[in-house]
Amino acid sequence: MAHDDPAAAGRQVAVSPDDGSLIDLGTPAVAALLSWLVPGLGQLYQGRRLKGLLFMVTLVTTFVVGAWLGGGRVVYASWQPGEKRWAFLCQAGIGAAAIPAVVQSWSLLGAAKEPLLGGSFMVPPLLRGQPVSQAYATRLAAVDPDLDADDFSPSPPWQVFRPFPPPGMLDRRPADQLSIWHRRLGRFFEIGTLYTMLAGMLNILVVYDAWSGPMRTAAEAEGEKRS
Amino acid sequence: MMPVPPLVATLVDHVPGLAFGVPLVLAAAVVFAGTHHESPERIRAAAIEWVGWLGGILGAVLLAVALVSWLA
Repeated sequence: MAHDDPAAAGRQVAVSPDDGSLIDLGTPAVAALLSWLVPGLGQLYQGRRLKGLLFMVTLVTTFVVGAWLGGGRVVYASWQPGEKRWAFLCQAGIGAAAIPAVVQSWSLLGAAKEPLLGGSFMVPPLLRGQPVSQAYATRLAAVDPDLDADDFSPSPPWQVFRPFPPPGMLDRRPADQLSIWHRRLGRFFEIGTLYTMLAGMLNILVVYDAWSGPMRTAAEAEGEKRS
Repeated sequence: MMPVPPLVATLVDHVPGLAFGVPLVLAAAVVFAGTHHESPERIRAAAIEWVGWLGGILGAVLLAVALVSWLA
C-alpha cells in the first residue's frame, strides 16, 4: 500500500527496527486475516512483497512437504472420544489449507456420514464401530489398499466399520484406521505431523507481524523508550 | 506415502530421522528473522543467527540425551 505519509493519512503504521522508516499496515485486521488464510498474503496486501513471498514460500512448502511425508493422512480434525486430534489446533494456524479438514470432519460425523470432498482427503480415521454411508464404505473398500468389504458390516441404513465382536470373540485386526496408518507410515506419520504443526504455529507469528509490524526484542523496546 | 516415483520414495526412506529436523530449523529461523526485521539484509543476517541459536540449543539437547542414554 504505497503512500507518501501513511501516518498523516490516519492509517496504522509501525516503525521499522532496521532504519526507523514507517511501515504502512493498511487495515491491520484485514492484513492479519489474509495472513492467516494464506501465509504472507497480509504482508503482500500491505506492500511488503519480499516478506510476504518469503513467508508464503517457507510456510506453504513446510506444510505441503509435511502433508506429503505423512501420506496425506496427518492433517485431520477429530474430536471424538478415543481420537482427539490435538495436533490440529496447531495445524489450523496455517489457515485456508486446514479448513477442508474441518469440513470433512463435520460431514463424516454429521447426518450424511461421509466426507463432503471426494476421496479420503483430510478425512479423520474411522474408529471401531463407527457408522458410515454405504457409498463411503464401498469407496474405501475399493480404493484403500488396507481395507476391504469385510471391514464393514451392514447396519441399515449405514455400514459399520469393524463392529465390536460379540462377547467371547476376539478381533485381532487393528481397532481403528489410525493404527493402520501408523503401521503403514511408520516414522513418517510423526514427521509429517511435526512439519504441519510447525508450519501452523509459525504462521501465528506471521499473522502477528501483519497485525502490528515487526516484533522487537525487550532490549530494543527498552532502548526505544529511553530515546 | 502418496504415490511417488519409486526412486524418490526409496531415497526418502533412507534419510536419517535427524535430517528431517534441518528444514524445520531453517523454516523457523527464516520466519523468526522475518518477523523481527524489515530489510532483506537484516533478515538474512538474523536468519543465519537464528539457525546458529536453534541448531546450538537443539544440538546441545541432543548431545545431553545421547550422553544420558550412553551412561544409562
